[in-house]
Amino acid sequence: MDEFQEILQDFLVESFELVEKLDEDLVELESTPEDLELLNGIFRVAHTVKGASSFLNFDVLTHLTHHMEDVLNKARHGDLILTPDIMDVVLESIDLMKALLRIIRDTSSDAGIDVSECVARLDKVSGGDGKIESPVAVPNVAANVAPIVEAPEEEPDYDSMDDNEIEAEIERLLNQRQNEDKAKREAKIAAGESVPEAPPAPIEDEVKSEPEPYVAPTPAVTTPPPPPPAPERKMKSDDDAKAAAPTKREPATVEQTIRVDVKRLDHLMNLIGELVLAKNRLIKINDDVEERYEGEEFLEELNQVVSIVSLVTTDLQIAVMKTRMLPIGKVFNKFPRMIRDLSRELKKDIELEISGEDTELDKSIVEEIGDPLVHIIRNSCDHGVETPAIRVANGKTEKGTIILKAYNEGNQIVIQIDDDGKGLDVNMLKNKSLEKGIITEKEADNMSDKDAYSLIFKPGFSTAATVTSVSGRGVGMDVVKTNIEKLNGMIDIESELGKGTSIKLKIPLTLAIIQALLVGVQEEYYAIPLASVLETVRISKDEIYTVEGRSVMRLREDILSLVHIGDIFEVERILDSSEHAYVVVLGLGTSKLGLIVDTLVGQEEIVIKSLGDYLKGIDGIAGATIRGDGGVTLIVDVVALMQMARNVKATAMVSNSSGAPEVSKEKKKASDYTVMIVDDSKTDRTIMKKALESMGMTLVEASDGQEALSMLKSGDHHFDAMLIDIEMPRMDGYSLALEIKKYNKYKTLPLIAVTSRSGKSDRMRGVESGMVEYITKPYSSDYLASVVQRNINFKAEFL
Amino acid sequence: MSNKLQQIINKQNEQQNSSLEQRDVVVQLVGFVIGNEEYAVPILAIQEIIKPFSWTRVPQVPKYVLGVFNLRGAVIPLIDLRAKFGIPTKKHSDETRFIVMRHGDDVAGFVIDRLTMAIRIKKENISAAPDAMSGEDSMIDGVGKEEDKIITILKVNKLLERDF
Repeated sequence: MDEFQEILQDFLVESFELVEKLDEDLVELESTPEDLELLNGIFRVAHTVKGASSFLNFDVLTHLTHHMEDVLNKARHGDLILTPDIMDVVLESIDLMKALLRIIRDTSSDAGIDVSECVARLDKVSGGDGKIESPVAVPNVAANVAPIVEAPEEEPDYDSMDDNEIEAEIERLLNQRQNEDKAKREAKIAAGESVPEAPPAPIEDEVKSEPEPYVAPTPAVTTPPPPPPAPERKMKSDDDAKAAAPTKREPATVEQTIRVDVKRLDHLMNLIGELVLAKNRLIKINDDVEERYEGEEFLEELNQVVSIVSLVTTDLQIAVMKTRMLPIGKVFNKFPRMIRDLSRELKKDIELEISGEDTELDKSIVEEIGDPLVHIIRNSCDHGVETPAIRVANGKTEKGTIILKAYNEGNQIVIQIDDDGKGLDVNMLKNKSLEKGIITEKEADNMSDKDAYSLIFKPGFSTAATVTSVSGRGVGMDVVKTNIEKLNGMIDIESELGKGTSIKLKIPLTLAIIQALLVGVQEEYYAIPLASVLETVRISKDEIYTVEGRSVMRLREDILSLVHIGDIFEVERILDSSEHAYVVVLGLGTSKLGLIVDTLVGQEEIVIKSLGDYLKGIDGIAGATIRGDGGVTLIVDVVALMQMARNVKATAMVSNSSGAPEVSKEKKKASDYTVMIVDDSKTDRTIMKKALESMGMTLVEASDGQEALSMLKSGDHHFDAMLIDIEMPRMDGYSLALEIKKYNKYKTLPLIAVTSRSGKSDRMRGVESGMVEYITKPYSSDYLASVVQRNINFKAEFL
Repeated sequence: MSNKLQQIINKQNEQQNSSLEQRDVVVQLVGFVIGNEEYAVPILAIQEIIKPFSWTRVPQVPKYVLGVFNLRGAVIPLIDLRAKFGIPTKKHSDETRFIVMRHGDDVAGFVIDRLTMAIRIKKENISAAPDAMSGEDSMIDGVGKEEDKIITILKVNKLLERDF
C-alpha cells in the first residue's frame, strides 16, 4: 500500500504540474489553432494523465481524460477545428479534471464528481452521439489509436495482486504502448510520410505475435519487460518525423532537482539571519580595532578575514534566498485562462501579453501575490478595457490589450499591469469619492492626480456604475493595497485618460533580511525599510512651512507633508537640533510622506526579529534588529507610521519649548554650588580643589572627558560650572565642551578651560568649542577662585 | 544474606521517600529587594540574572516598560519593577540586576534594586495573599514568613502578562 501511496503522490505532483501548463497552452491554442506543436503538447498531457489514472484505477478520471483525448486527437489530425465553443467544452473538462485531481489528493479516490454531462458534450464534439454510459468503454473514434483506449475499465484491482501479477500487468502496458507506437507509425506511412525505418526489435515482434494485449496473469508471463532501448530509439525516429509522441517519453535523465521541505529552508534562512548579524558585528569590531591599532601589521590579515567572511556570508545569503525562489510564471499561468473567460463573459475582446514570467520571487511572496494580481487584472478587464464598439468609436483597435510583465529593479521585483483601456478619470474619481463620503470637498480640491488615482484603493470605492460578478464591489482593490503593503511593497499608478492605465507593484525580493536606512533622532536610532524610502533630502529649517497646523515642504513640484520622527515615537528633545535637518521621503503604495530625522546613519542589511508577545502590536514598530554593536534598533512600520502621521500636529522643528532651561534652585548656602573638575592629573585636580575648597562649594572630580560627560548626563548633581583640562585621554577638553554644548539645557553652563596650552590658536579653539574662560597654568589659586566666583554668581554673603 | 540486602533496599527506599517529601514541602525561591520590600519568585522561573546593560527605548508603552535589550541574539522586553509597583524610580546602582524570567514562551527582563539570596522555605510557612490582594488578577502568589521578616512571593505568569 505504501508503494501505491508513493506512486499516487508522484502521479498527483506530475498531474498538477502538467495541468497548470495546460490552461495557458489551450488559450494560446485558441488564437493559433494550427499550431501542431502546441496541440501535441496538450494532447500529451491529457494522454499522460489518462494513462496514469487508468493504471491507478481512477475510472472517472480515466473516462473523462479519454474523451478529452479523443477530441484533441481529432483536432490534431485536422478532423476538427477548435472553435471557441469547442474550446469552452475542453476548458470545462479541464476544470473537471482539476477538480478530480484535487479530490484524489484529498481522499485518494475520484468519486463524487459527475462528469457524464461534460463527457457527453465532449463526445458530441468529437462526432459521437453524446449518449454515453459512464464509465464504460466508449466507441473509438480514431481507429489509429485503438489499442490505447481499450482496456482501462476491465483493469483488476492492483492491491490484490501479487508481485508476479503486477509484473505481468506492467508488461501488458508496455506491450500496449509499443503496439500503439507501431500502429501510429504505420498510420503515418500510410499517410505518405517518410518515416525512418525503425530498427528491428525482436522482442517487440514477439510481443506483437501475442494475440491479445491483455493476458490474464499466469506464471507463464514472467518474461522480463523489453529492454528500454527499443522504445527509446523509436521515439527518436518519431521525433525526427516531427510527429507526436503521445505519451511522456523523456529519456530517463539523471535527476536534477530535489524536493525539499519548506521548513528546512526556513530554518536555513533563520540560521543565515544569525550569521548576517554576526557579520555586521564583526565588521563593526574590525572598524574599532582598525581605529585603535592603526598601522599594525596584523590588521591587514584581520581585514582580509573579515572581508572574506562578509563576502561569503552575503553570497551564502543570496544562495539560500535563491533556493526559496519560484518563478512568478507559477502565478502568471492562470491569467490567460482568466482573461479568456472574462472577455467572453464581458463580451469584450481582450488579449493578454505576458513577459518576464521567469522572474523569481521568494516563495512566501509568490503565494501572497496571486490574489492582488487577480483583482487588478479583473479590474482592468472590467473597468479598463472598453467594449469593442466603444473602442472602435474611439479610434482604437477592436482588441484590447493587457500587458502583464515582471522584471527586476534593484532589490525589488516590479510587476506591471498595463491596459490600453479608457484610463482613470480624475474628476470622476473625485466625484465618486465625494459622493461616498470617502473624502471631503477640501481634500478633493487639494488632491493631485496621483492621489486621486489611489482613491481606487479606498475601501468602499467602486467606479463601475453597476456591480458585476467580475468586479465593482469595491472590496477587491482595497485587498490589493493591504496585501501589497503587507509584503512591504509599493503601488504606483499612472494613467492617461482614454489611453490606458499602468499599475506597478514594487515588491522586495525577500522578507526576512532587508536593506534598511538607519536614521538617528536625538540619541536614538531607527531602521526604515529601504524599499519604502524614495529619497533623502537635506533641508534648512526655513524651508518648512506650516499649513493648517501641519508641516509641509516643497519637493520639486510637489508639496510633501512632513512629520518629525520624534513626534511619532515620543522622543524627548534634549539635544539641540541644528539649522539643518534631513527628510526621508517615504513612499508607500501611492502616498508619500516626509519624515524629519536628525541624522542619517547609513544603509545596512538587517535581520527582522519580532518583539515578542509582550510588546507586539506597537503602533509604528514592525520589529527590531540587532546591530553590529550588539544594541537593539527598532524597525519602523512605514504603513502604520503614515497612519499615525495624520494625527500629529506640526511641532516639527519650529517648537523650541526645550529652550527654557530649568530654573536653578535658589542657593541657600555655599555648598549648594557644585563645580566639576575635569583633569587627568590627580595633582592638578588637588591644586584646583585646594583653591576652591575654602569657599565651601561642593566639588566633584572626573578624570577625563568621557567620565565627565556621563556624570553630567546622569543628572546626579546639578553643576554650576566646570573646570576643564584640555589634554586628556579618551576625550579631550575641546571635544567635551562641544559635546556638552549640544545639549540645550547646558547651553548656559559655564565651561572654564584650565590648561598649560597658551597659544593663541588654542585659545581660539577654546572659544569655538564653547569655553567661556581660559586660564593658563600656572595660575594663582586666588585668580582661579575669582574666575569661578564670577562665573557662578557666587553670593558674597557666603564668603 | 538476603535479609541484609532487603535491609539495604529498604533503607534506600526510605531515603528516597524522605527526600521526595522534603522536595515536596520546601519551595526554592530567589529573593530580591525593590524599594523597601523583599520579594521572591520561584527559582525555576528564572532563566538568568545579569548585570544591567544598555537597552533601547520603545515608544507607546507604559512607563514601567523601559524598552528592549539584546540577550544573546534574542530581543527581550525590559520592565522596571519599581515603576510597575508605583515606587519612584532611582538610578541604577552597582547592585541593580536584571532578572530574566521565563514562563512558557514568554520571556522578559525585570529591573530590581538588589538580590538578597536563594531562599528555601517550607510550604507551611507560606500563606495565601491577604484577601484584598488575592484573586486571579493579583500579582501576589502568597506571603512567605521567615524568622525575622516576611517575603512577598510573586506570580511569574502575571509579571509576564501584558497589561496595557
